[in-house]
Formats: sequence, C-alpha cells, structure tokens
Amino acid sequence: MGLFNRGSEKGRAGSRLQYMTENISEELIRLEDLVKIYDTGALKVLGLKRINLTIHRGEFVAIMGQSGSGKSTLMNILGCLDRPSMGHYYLDGVDVAAMNPNELSLIRNRKIGFVFQSFNLISRTSALKNVELPMTYAHRNKRFREQRARVLLERVGLGKRAEHMPNELSGGQRQRVAIARALANEPPLLLADEPTGNLDTAASVEIMELFSQLHKEGTTVVVVTHEEEIAAFTERIIRFRDGEIVSDSPNAPREPGKKADSIKETTENGMDRSNVTEGEEQLC
Amino acid sequence: MLIENMLMAFSAIRANKMRSFLTMLGIIIGIGSVISIVSIGDTMRSMFEELYRKIGITQAYIAIGYWVDDWRQSDYFTLDEMERIKEIFGDEIAYIDSDAFTSGDAVCARTTVKFNYQGIDYNYQEVQPVNMVYGRYLNEGDVLGRRKNVVMDTTSAMNLFGVENAVGRTFRTTIYGTMDEYTVVGVYRKDLNPFQAMMMGANTEGGEAFVPYTILTWPNDYFYDIRIFAQDEATMDTFFDSLKTYVAKSKGRNPEDFRMETAKAQMGQWDSMMGGLATAVGGIAAISLLVGGIGIMNIMLVSVTERTREIGIRKSLGARTRDIMVQFLTESAILSACGGILGILLGGGIVTLGGRLLGVQAIVKPAVVVLAVGFSAMVGIFFGIYPASKAAKKDPIEALRYE
Repeated sequence: MGLFNRGSEKGRAGSRLQYMTENISEELIRLEDLVKIYDTGALKVLGLKRINLTIHRGEFVAIMGQSGSGKSTLMNILGCLDRPSMGHYYLDGVDVAAMNPNELSLIRNRKIGFVFQSFNLISRTSALKNVELPMTYAHRNKRFREQRARVLLERVGLGKRAEHMPNELSGGQRQRVAIARALANEPPLLLADEPTGNLDTAASVEIMELFSQLHKEGTTVVVVTHEEEIAAFTERIIRFRDGEIVSDSPNAPREPGKKADSIKETTENGMDRSNVTEGEEQLC
Repeated sequence: MLIENMLMAFSAIRANKMRSFLTMLGIIIGIGSVISIVSIGDTMRSMFEELYRKIGITQAYIAIGYWVDDWRQSDYFTLDEMERIKEIFGDEIAYIDSDAFTSGDAVCARTTVKFNYQGIDYNYQEVQPVNMVYGRYLNEGDVLGRRKNVVMDTTSAMNLFGVENAVGRTFRTTIYGTMDEYTVVGVYRKDLNPFQAMMMGANTEGGEAFVPYTILTWPNDYFYDIRIFAQDEATMDTFFDSLKTYVAKSKGRNPEDFRMETAKAQMGQWDSMMGGLATAVGGIAAISLLVGGIGIMNIMLVSVTERTREIGIRKSLGARTRDIMVQFLTESAILSACGGILGILLGGGIVTLGGRLLGVQAIVKPAVVVLAVGFSAMVGIFFGIYPASKAAKKDPIEALRYE
C-alpha cells in the first residue's frame, strides 16, 4: 500500500468504508444503455447513444475522442455533474442516474475526485485551504482537515507551498494542488478532464507520472483527453466518435525506460520533493 | 461550517474593499441616521424628564376651570381654605401655597431692575431645594409676620446690587400698588444646564426673588389657584383626585368644574410628542436602510455572476445547494452587519459630539444598538436571499464552463 492509504489509516471510518466497498464489487463504474439527449428547444441532439461500459476498480483508463465526440458529456455524467436522459449509471454499486442534485453533491463529495484542465482552484485561497475544501463540505473537523491536507500536499511535492495562493504557483504546481484536493476524501474514482491541456510537456509528464503512481497505489483513474501521448500512459483506451464507443482496447503503458533521459530522470525522482521543487522553480 | 463561511465571507469582502465599503455606505448612513434620531429623541425625553424633576414631578395646580361660565366669588381660594386642606390631607401634602407671583421694578440707588416675585411658604426649600450661598432662606416668622424679606439668586443680586453677597441690602419696589422697602436675607446659586435655562427662562438682565406668599395674597387674601406638591409620587394621582372632589364639594360645584394640572401629565404630553416625532423621523430614516439593502442585493448579484466559476468548483467538490446558499447569505449578512456597526459608530459619534457641544449627556440606548445591528443583518439576509438562491441554483456544468 502506498502513501495514500497510509494517510487514510488516520481516518479509520474512511478506510473501513473503502475496505467494505472493495469487497462488495470489483466493478466501480457500470453504464447500461446510457443515453444523453440535449434538448435545445428547436431540436434534440443525441449526446450519447446507448453506451454500455464497465470500469473496474484499480483501472487506469483514457477516454479519447475529438471535440463533439461525446467524451465531455460522458465525463460530466461519470462525474455526477449531469444526469443521463435514459439508462443506468452504477457508481460503486449505486445507481446514481435518478438522484437529485443534492444527492449527487454528496456522491461527488465522497466518491469522485475531479482534476480539471484549467485547475479550477479557488482564487485568493491558499493551497492548503483549497485542499481542505472537499473535507469542509464533508463536515470534517478543522484539525483533521488541516492535517490531512498537509499530508496530501506533501505527497504531491508541495509541502512547502501549502500557504501559497494559486496565483503564486506555476501551472504544474496548481494542477498538483488540484490532484491533492481531488484525493481529499479518499474517493474511489479520480476523474481527470484534459488534465494536461494547459501545461507544457515537462509538467504534463510530471502530472501523468503522478497519476500512474496513484494508479499503482490502487486508485481508479479515468483521464479524458484528445492527446495520444497522454493516453499512452494509461492501460486501457476507450475511443469515442459521434456519441458512441468506437474502440475499447488495452494499452501497454509507456515504460519509463523507453523515454528520453531527461524525462526518465524526472520519472525516477518524480516524488523526490527537492528535485521537483527545483524543476518547478525553473517553470516559474 | 459557520465559522468557515464567515471566514470566506470576510476574505471575499476584503478582496473588494472599495466596493464593499461603498455597498455598506447605504447601511452605514441608514443605521447612522436611525441611531442618531432615536438617540436625539431619547436624549430630549430624558432632558424633559430631568427638567420636570427639577420643577417638581409631584407638582400640581388646582383652579376653577376656564370653561366655567358663572364664576363666583366663592370659586376663589382663601388662606383659611388652604389651612383646612392642609389639615384634611395632612400627610399627603409635601408643600402647598397660593401660587402667587407678580412683578415690579426693584430700585436700589440709581439702579432699576425688573423683578419677578414668587410667593412661597417657608418650607418651599423642601420640595425645591436651592443652593444657598449667603444668608438664610425665608422662615416661618417671615411668612406668618408678612415680613418684607426676600431671597434671590446670585444673578439677580449682581444685576441689582452689583455684588453676589447682597445679604442685608435693601431695595424699594411696588407690589400691588404699594411702594415698600424690602430686605435681602439670603442669596442662592442656580444650577441649570443650558437646556434647562432655556426652558425655564434664562434670567440674565432681570431679577427673581422669593417673597413670603402672605405678602402677595394680602390685602384681600383671595387667590385664583392653589399650588400643591404631593408627598408620594406613587399615590399622587388618587390624592389629586380626592383633593379635586373635596374642593368642588366645599364650593358646591361638580368636580368637572375644577381644573387640575399636574406636572406629570404635562411631561407625558411632551414625552409622547417627542416620541411621536422620533418615530416619524426614524421611520423616514429607516427607508434609507431599505435603499441600503437594495444596494447590497445589487452588489451580491454582481458578485454571484463574477464568482460563477467558483460556485461551479464548489459544487463539483460536493457543495450542496444549501452550502452555497448559506455561504452567500453569510456574506451579505456580514456585509450588512459591518455596515450596521459602522453606522452605530457614526450615529453614536454624531450624537455624543453634538451632546458635548450643547453641554448635555447624550443617551444611546443599548437596546437600540442591538436592534440596529440585528435589523441591518436582517436586511442583509433578506436582500441576500435572491442573489444567494440564484447562486445556489446554478448548474454545475454551466458554472464550471463560465469564463
């Protein structure tokens, strides 16, 4: 078990919940005949056409497709931000398709960690407070929140920047804060929407390495992207076109050894904080 | 969670200092004017009460009503009648006299000063204490012997004799057509604040003196009204009623034919007038609070639109509709309550400063302050409901996409 689960041992209830759900079902996500229709008034647009998809616990999946392919629609539904028009969506064994907005808020809070393309940190709010936020909405007490937020920031290599405001951090650092925040309530699913879209290559690689690491530690990671290089990090690639799945195939993830030396170095020392900080300072 | 919300609200207010202040300004002015008007009203009322305490809250006059057409000789009072009233009501009476006063030119050497003379009994000092600085007060002998002795205040003494200590000095004056020589036996000092001096008639050029009332009722010993001070403020109303009944009966009239004027009733009139005025003007000031509240609603709507993306992020992290609602309500309530607190400081400051300039103790009641802060927070919450619910209802996907 990796650092995250070690961290979770501090919140006993959390780890027990995870333990129980792990035994209930190995399927984390199951979509059954999922349809999304956009009703614009004049005409109805079919966003998703009868999607059937299963993602198991511990998978590292990329969802690919051009814009308009339906991957963003799927992402919104997977993230419980939107509800399907028809069909079922079982997340962690529970059908969330018919839930009301407040129930979905609870699901998002406990089951899903979001990582967005534009980081979506709350401005004028320190990295620490940003990471605490999901725990605030989960009504965790202040001491627990702060302690866990520090552990998470340490984990993503930003332990020394906990008090920094988002505008004092580089893009890569911001995205790492966002990842720490996504992990705050130990969600079973990490959902990343074009997480490297606003980052340069070096930072992109770092972020993807971080996802790989999290995956190895047991977290289920779903990355929505249109970049082949990003998808190459994952173990399974699902391709979308016109609201339908056109292919779903396993992928041999990019091995660190195959890459250029500079990247390899970062990979090997990816979690070495001093090294990362140095790299980030160049970015700033 | 509440503390978290308050911290968030404060940081949001801090982030837009100028805008927050301008938004608060409506509430500041509204609360400030309500506080100052209510406080001015309260101060005036307490000043009137103090004034009436000074002239005697248990004081009353009884006389034949001016609405009575057939005045008779017997409607006037005599000293004998007054003595009988004293005997009958005894313990209930603190002081009684014939409410006699007149005026005349007082002449000493080449100085002539217009003097007002008030006829008093020797125990008048018990109900209207004065600060004697020279000589003595009028005594029983002066009253019974109808001696031409007077007591005056320091200002009058200065005006007439050019010195404060006028004990033993004499002057000539005409009372009821008879010129006589009067002797000063005592001088007292008046302690009045500017407001009391104004209301009781400031005496800067003329003179005032107490003389035995027996002088002023003499030679015919008839007088129009009786002035009386009740012993006990709590029971004085029933006492005054029975006095009126007795007087009417003894004169063969109905009680309605007699007029009983009490200081308390007069004060009550002032009080309700001031109260009514303060309420009316305060009501007008409260309208400015409404305007302030609309200002808050306006700025909260702007803020909600500006922070659409933040709302989306919070929702994606698990904030429920209620969480967002409470966050924005807290913000508008704090914005408004801060305005309220500043308004209290402003209003209280104006009243205190004004009071100091006029030499009176300004009164800012804590209840009014609590009410004002509470009311301003209510204004904030009320006018925050619409923007907050607008924020809470935002669709998370739309909100996250907002640029």
